Amino acid sequence: MVNQQRAQSTRQFYLVLLGIAVIGGLLIWRTAGKANSRVVAIDVKATPAQAEGYLMGNPDAPVQIMEFADFECPACGQFATVTEPDVRKRIVQTGLASYRFFDFPLTEIHKNTLAASNAAACASDQGKFWEMHDLIYQHQPEWSTEATSDPKKFFGRYANQIGLDVSSWSKCYDDEKHLQRIMANRAEGERRNIRQTPTFIIGTKMIPGSISYDMLKAYVDSAAAQVAQNVAKPDSGAQGGK
Amino acid sequence: MRPRNLIALLALVGVFVALYLTLYKIGVIGVLTCNVGSCETVNTSRWATFLGLPVAAWGLGTYIVILVLALAGMQGVAPRETAWLTALITGWGVLFSAWLTYLELFVIHAICMWCVISATLMLLLFVTSAFDLRQELRGG
Repeated sequence: MVNQQRAQSTRQFYLVLLGIAVIGGLLIWRTAGKANSRVVAIDVKATPAQAEGYLMGNPDAPVQIMEFADFECPACGQFATVTEPDVRKRIVQTGLASYRFFDFPLTEIHKNTLAASNAAACASDQGKFWEMHDLIYQHQPEWSTEATSDPKKFFGRYANQIGLDVSSWSKCYDDEKHLQRIMANRAEGERRNIRQTPTFIIGTKMIPGSISYDMLKAYVDSAAAQVAQNVAKPDSGAQGGK
Repeated sequence: MRPRNLIALLALVGVFVALYLTLYKIGVIGVLTCNVGSCETVNTSRWATFLGLPVAAWGLGTYIVILVLALAGMQGVAPRETAWLTALITGWGVLFSAWLTYLELFVIHAICMWCVISATLMLLLFVTSAFDLRQELRGG
C-alpha cells in the first residue's frame, strides 16, 4: 500500500518535472524565434554619412558596408578576428562592396576603448589603420580595462610591430590629435540610433549585433540586387536631379 | 516534498537558466553585442569564459549532472554516494557563483539578472543537498 502510494507520488513528480521541461523548452524556443526580428530598414538617401570613418576597398563599389564598433567590445573583437578576414578576402577585395569602420567607443563601460580608437587613428596618419585595428582586436584581453590602466605600452608595441614611426605615432597619441574625428564617428552612430556594437549598415538595412559571414554576404547580395534594380529602373526624381 | 525531489526540481530550472545564457553567449538566442545593458556587459566580459568554454556552459553541465544525480538517488541508485556527490558539486557551485557575483559587483560593475538567479538556485541546491545528505547519513 505504502509502496503503491510512493510509486504514484513519484509518477506525479515526474509529470511536474516534465511540465517544467516543456514550459522551459517553449520559453527558450519562443525567445530564439524573436532573435532575427531586429533588423531595421533605413532610407540611405536621407542619411548620407556625415563622418568619414575608415575606408577599405573601392569607394565606388556597388554596396557599402558600414560597421560601428568599439575596440574593447568582445563581440566586436570576435567579429574582427573570426569573420572579418573572410569578409575582406571574399567581399571587399573582390570589389563587391566597400567597408567603412566607424568608432563607436562605449566609454560608459570600457575605460580603455577611447585610447584604442586614438591609437588606431594615429596609425591611420601613416596609412596603417587596418594593421593597427587588427592587432588591437587580436590582443584585446591584454590591454582591456580589466587587464591594465596603461594601455599605451601595448599599443606602442603594436605600432612598432607594424613598422610605424613610433615617435610621431606616440606624439599624435599623447596629443589626442584625432579625438574630434573619433567623436564625430560616434556621433554619426548616435545620429543613426545605434545602441550597441557591433552594428552594421549594409545597403538599406541596419543590423545590430555580430553576424556570420554567410549572413553578411546575404545582405550584401540583397543590397547589390537592389542597386542593380535601381540602375535598370531609375526613378524619375533622381534622373531629374542630374 | 523530499529534499531529493526538490534538488531535481531546482536543477531542472537551473538547466534552463544556464541553457538560455549559453545559447545567448554563442549567439543562438539574440546576438552577441556590447552595449550598456548589464547582461550584455557581463556575458561579453572576459570573465564569461572559463577554461575555453562559456561560464554558462559550465553551469549547464553542472545542473545536468546535479539533475541526473538527484534522479538516480530518487530511483534508489547509490543514495549515499549520490548525496555526497551532490553536496560536493553544489558546494563547489556556490563558491564559483559567489566568485562570479563578486566579479559582477566589483570588477565588471554590472549585474546580470539571469546570473543572479543561477547563483540563488545554486545556493538553494546546496542547502537542500546538505539536508538530503544529513538525512541519508542518519539512515533516513
